[in-house]
Amino acid sequence: MNILTIARFTIQEAISRRLILAGSLLSLAFIGLFALGFFLIYQNDSQLSGPLSDAQEQAAFGTIMTVLGLYAINFLAGFLALFLSVGAISGEIDSGALHAVLARPLRRAEFVIGRWLAYAGLSSVYVGLMAGSLLLSARLISGYTTPDPVRATLLMMLASIVLLTLSLLGSTLLSTLANGVVVFSLFGLAWLAGIIEFIGGVLSNEAMLNVGTTVSLLVPSDAIWRGASYYIQSPIFLAGMNAGEGIPFAGTAPPATQLVVWGLLYPLVLLGAAIMTFSHRDL
Amino acid sequence: MSLTLSAEQAGRIEPLVAVLPVGVPAIETVGLRKAYRGSVVLHDLSLSVAPGEVFGFLGPNGAGKTTTVKILMGLVRPTAGTASIFGLPAGDREARRRVGYLPENFRFHDWLTGAGLLDFHGRLAGLSAEERRSRIPDAIARVGLAGRGDERIRTYSKGMTQRIGLAQAIFHRPDLVLLDEPTSALDPVGRREVRDLIHSLRDDGITVVLNSHLLSEVELVCDRVAIIDHGRVVRSGPLADLLGATTTIRVTVDRVDCELRTALNRYADVLAVEDATVTLGVSDVEVAPLIADAVVRGGYQLYGLAPVHRSLEDVFMDLVEGGEE
Repeated sequence: MNILTIARFTIQEAISRRLILAGSLLSLAFIGLFALGFFLIYQNDSQLSGPLSDAQEQAAFGTIMTVLGLYAINFLAGFLALFLSVGAISGEIDSGALHAVLARPLRRAEFVIGRWLAYAGLSSVYVGLMAGSLLLSARLISGYTTPDPVRATLLMMLASIVLLTLSLLGSTLLSTLANGVVVFSLFGLAWLAGIIEFIGGVLSNEAMLNVGTTVSLLVPSDAIWRGASYYIQSPIFLAGMNAGEGIPFAGTAPPATQLVVWGLLYPLVLLGAAIMTFSHRDL
Repeated sequence: MSLTLSAEQAGRIEPLVAVLPVGVPAIETVGLRKAYRGSVVLHDLSLSVAPGEVFGFLGPNGAGKTTTVKILMGLVRPTAGTASIFGLPAGDREARRRVGYLPENFRFHDWLTGAGLLDFHGRLAGLSAEERRSRIPDAIARVGLAGRGDERIRTYSKGMTQRIGLAQAIFHRPDLVLLDEPTSALDPVGRREVRDLIHSLRDDGITVVLNSHLLSEVELVCDRVAIIDHGRVVRSGPLADLLGATTTIRVTVDRVDCELRTALNRYADVLAVEDATVTLGVSDVEVAPLIADAVVRGGYQLYGLAPVHRSLEDVFMDLVEGGEE
C-alpha cells in the first residue's frame, strides 16, 4: 500500500515537473524525424536502383535502418533512466523533503521500492511506445517486419531497468552530482566495452573479448542491448554475414541464457543493496 | 570547546530524569549518545516527557536538539542509549503512527499543492479517503491558509510553507507533536497563532515538544523545559521552578548599616549592597512581607521592595555561557 502511494507520488512528480510532457514531445519529434529520414532514403534508394527487388538487399536496408533507430532509442531510454533516478534518494535528502515523509509509518524499503517501481514503469512505457512506433513506421514505409519485436522490446526495457537500478543504488550512497558522474561514466564504459568486445570478435582477440565480458558483468546494459538487437535483424541479413562481420553496435547472436539471467538478477541484487544502504543511513 | 560548569552550577543540576506520574512517558531517552566520525553531538542525554505536557527543548545552535528529535523519529540511529515514544522504541512504525513532526528545515515537495501535500501525508499516515477529504480543509483553515490550499507550495512564502508544515504535523490527530523551530519563519502575528495552536493541542490532551532557541516563545507556552548544551541536559524541570529557583529581592531604604544587615540576614542572604539598595537572595518570595516588617520595625524608611524575576533568558545564559567562550 505504502509502496503504491510512493510510486503514484513519484509518477505525479514526473508529470507535474513536465518531464512526461517534454519527453513525449521530443519523442514524437524523434519518431517523426526517423520516419521522414527512413522514407526519403528508401525512396532515394528505389530511384537509384529501381525498386528493391532483391530480398537480401531489402532485408539489409530494413535491418540497418531499424537497428539504427532502436539503437538511438536505447540510448535515449538509457539517458531517461539515469536522469530519472540519479537523484531519486539523494535529491530528496538534499532538499530536506524526505524527513517529513520518512517520519510517517513508512519503511525505508517501501520508499525505495516505490520509487524504483515508478521509474521502471515510466522507462518501460517509454521504451515500449518508442520501439513500437518506430517498428510500426519502418513496417509501413518499407514493409520490413522485425523477426521478434516483443523479445527485443522486453530486453530493451530490461537494459533501462538495469541502468536505473544502478543509479538508484548510487543515489543512496552519493550526492546527486557525484552519482551522475559515476553512472554516466559507467554507462559510457559499458558502451565502450561493447565496442571493444565487437572488435575483439573481429580480430579474434581473447583479451579484448574478456574485457568486454568483465564490464558486461559490472554493467550489463550494453550486452543486453546487443542481445535485443539480434531479434531486430532479419535472418536473411544475418545469414549473409561472415564470422566477425555485422553492425558494430549490434549483436549477431541471440543473448546467452546466462546474460539474461544476470540481467534479471542484477536489478534485484542492486535494489536489495539500495534498500540496505538507505535503511542504515542517518538523515 | 567543552562545557565547564562551575561548582555552583553543577550543584544546581537536578537528577536528569525527573520523577513523573505513574504511566508510560510520551518520550523517554536514557543515556542517548550520538557520535559522527569522532565528533560527539550527544553525550548521555536522558530526559522524560509526560503525556499531555507542553515540553520545551532549549539550547544554543548545535547543542543537539535536532539530533535528539531525529533520533526520536527514527531518522538518525543513536550510537548508544535508548529512546522510546509511548513505551515503543523510537523509530518503530507504530510509534511514528502516533507522532506528528515538523522538521527544522521544513522543505516539502514544492510541486504539490498545499492540499496535495496533506493528501500524500494523509495516505502515508493511514487515513482513509473519507478522513482525508473531511480533515484537509479544516487543517488548512486551522493554520490560517484557508482558500490557499489549491496553490502550489512553490508559490508559498516561507511563513506559509511553515504553516502548511504545521498542518501536516497535526492533521492526522497524533498523540505527540514534535515541532522543531516551528515559528522561525513567522512574523509576530504568526507566532501568536502558533502559540494559540499549541494551547489548543494541549487542551485536547496532546503532548507537544517544542524545539526552540526563541526563549520568550518557550516561556509563554511550555509547562516544563530541558536546557541542553553540548549534547547534555544541563537543567530540566517545570518552568516555574527553573525561573523561581534563585529569586532575588531588591530593597531600597534610607540607609544601610550593620544592624539592618543583621536583621535582613535572618530571612535572606545579602548578595549586594549598592548605595541604599540591598539585593537579597531568598529561597522563597513568601518572605518578602517579613523583610518589609523587619525593615520598618528597625526604624528604617522603606522606599521600595520588589522581587526580581529572572527570565528564562537569564537562566539560559547562566547555564550555557560556560560553553560560549
